[in-house]
Amino acid sequence: MVALDPTTLMNILYIAISGTLVCIAVHFIPVGGAPAAMAQATGIGTGTVELAAGSGLVGLITASYMYSIPSVQQDPNVMALVLAAGAMGSMIMLASTMLTGSLIYAYGVGVPFASAQVKKDPITGARQDLYMSKGTQGQGLPTICFVSGIIGAALGGIGGALIYYVLVGIYAKSAIIGGSAAAVAGVFTMGVFYVNSVVPSYGVGGTIEGFHDPKFRRVLPKDAVTSFVVSALCGILAILIGGGF
Amino acid sequence: MVLDLTMSMAILAFMGALATIAGCLEDLESDVGSQSNPNSQVQLAPQMNLLHRIYNKAISGEPISNGFSAVIGGTVATVLLNAKFFSLTAIALGALVAALIYGIFATTSYAGRVASQSRFKQPLYMDIMRYTTPSIIAHNFIVCFCLVALAYIQSQILVPAHPFSIPFLALIWGISVGAIGSSVGDVHYGAEREFQNREFGCGLNTALSGRIVRKAESGLRNSIDNVWFCAKYGGPVTGIALGLTVFLSSWPTTVFGYTWIAIGVGIVIVLVMMVMNRLLEVQVKNAYGPYKEEKNEKEAAA
Repeated sequence: MVALDPTTLMNILYIAISGTLVCIAVHFIPVGGAPAAMAQATGIGTGTVELAAGSGLVGLITASYMYSIPSVQQDPNVMALVLAAGAMGSMIMLASTMLTGSLIYAYGVGVPFASAQVKKDPITGARQDLYMSKGTQGQGLPTICFVSGIIGAALGGIGGALIYYVLVGIYAKSAIIGGSAAAVAGVFTMGVFYVNSVVPSYGVGGTIEGFHDPKFRRVLPKDAVTSFVVSALCGILAILIGGGF
Repeated sequence: MVLDLTMSMAILAFMGALATIAGCLEDLESDVGSQSNPNSQVQLAPQMNLLHRIYNKAISGEPISNGFSAVIGGTVATVLLNAKFFSLTAIALGALVAALIYGIFATTSYAGRVASQSRFKQPLYMDIMRYTTPSIIAHNFIVCFCLVALAYIQSQILVPAHPFSIPFLALIWGISVGAIGSSVGDVHYGAEREFQNREFGCGLNTALSGRIVRKAESGLRNSIDNVWFCAKYGGPVTGIALGLTVFLSSWPTTVFGYTWIAIGVGIVIVLVMMVMNRLLEVQVKNAYGPYKEEKNEKEAAA
């Protein structure tokens, strides 16, 4: 009989919540897939999984480094600091990518930014429909998409950092893998990140502009529930890897 | 040894420079080999009866292929470092092995993809394979060298050292450089270079999909022509993106310590970038103007 103590259950719950955060993050990030790479759709010209994982993993690097600092480990707010570091790394990666991507759309391709999902940008109030070129679904990264992407990156960074924080705590006490706790926790975090980037990509279906996209409300609840269940399963496996319950 | 602020900043600047070179070369490598999203047009062209002389590898999505390449480089470098090799030699040999394996993948991928298009009469040009593959390997070597060196610095030189090993850090940076290259520089290749016969800034109608430009400035266009063009803008901008990512994600904690102030500074950096994007949006809209006229304006004109 497997004994489940409240701490273990709490850790599994943390991993499930983290995975769900990553899943929600993917919906916020404005990805246009292949059409955006040809300036035929609004958003960043790559896939959901690629970008979410890319930004989240930079967050993982900053979060894990923050956790390795001795003074931070003694800080009473260590968990909050690690999560914030993850969010910061992830946000900076995505902000740099979106800003430089905008430079390409602006001066390399020569197209004004326009969202196909809203007539006016909800943040700036700027008209979008007039700037949408013929036969496309918008192009570039208007302000609403940029803001949505930053929120998504923050959530993804927090999610990734929380998985790492929980796992490194568990593995450090493990007799089997205690010596390489950071490495195993990092690899497993990456795995959970990829799982939760792939799950929403089925709902998103290749392109989403961000939280203002009608697709966001339509697919988010189902994807979030799926991710929660899948991540909880990942959490159970992660604890088994560390030597069982 | 504890690094003082000047030394820490010097190392950080060096990491930023390495990342900038890696980012730039990664994008150019994806242009010379034609990978990621713009390659969908290269794949589609023969189906539209437009045969071409462009390399068509697309081993996988850019993050995965670059992560795979970087982790091989990192693993070989770690083995050689454990065998007491000089660090630069170990990194260079690791990058070389990774680049050669990458070259094998590029060759088989190109041959396989063109073979699958035989029904559309797309030929496999051996001269293209012969002189483009070494260019792919060379680009990938530089990318791997920079990424493994970056991982080495984080893992061995920084104080305190990063808890992740060299191969794992190289894998993460490989995935990130692929994600950035795919998001930034590829747009220059996909939206501009592949459809350069259209008016600049006209917007690319989806009906034009697959109708890529096949004639070069002189003769028939190949992937070397594409990388020549993208090296002028798409590649360097991608380099800036990765350089900014590496530099700015560590700069706040290096200067302000591992505190909430550093986190606050990081958020301010993001907000500044947000404002810059808005300014760019306004500037571009003013410079190029709308594609359509508003209905009221049309009526007034009538």
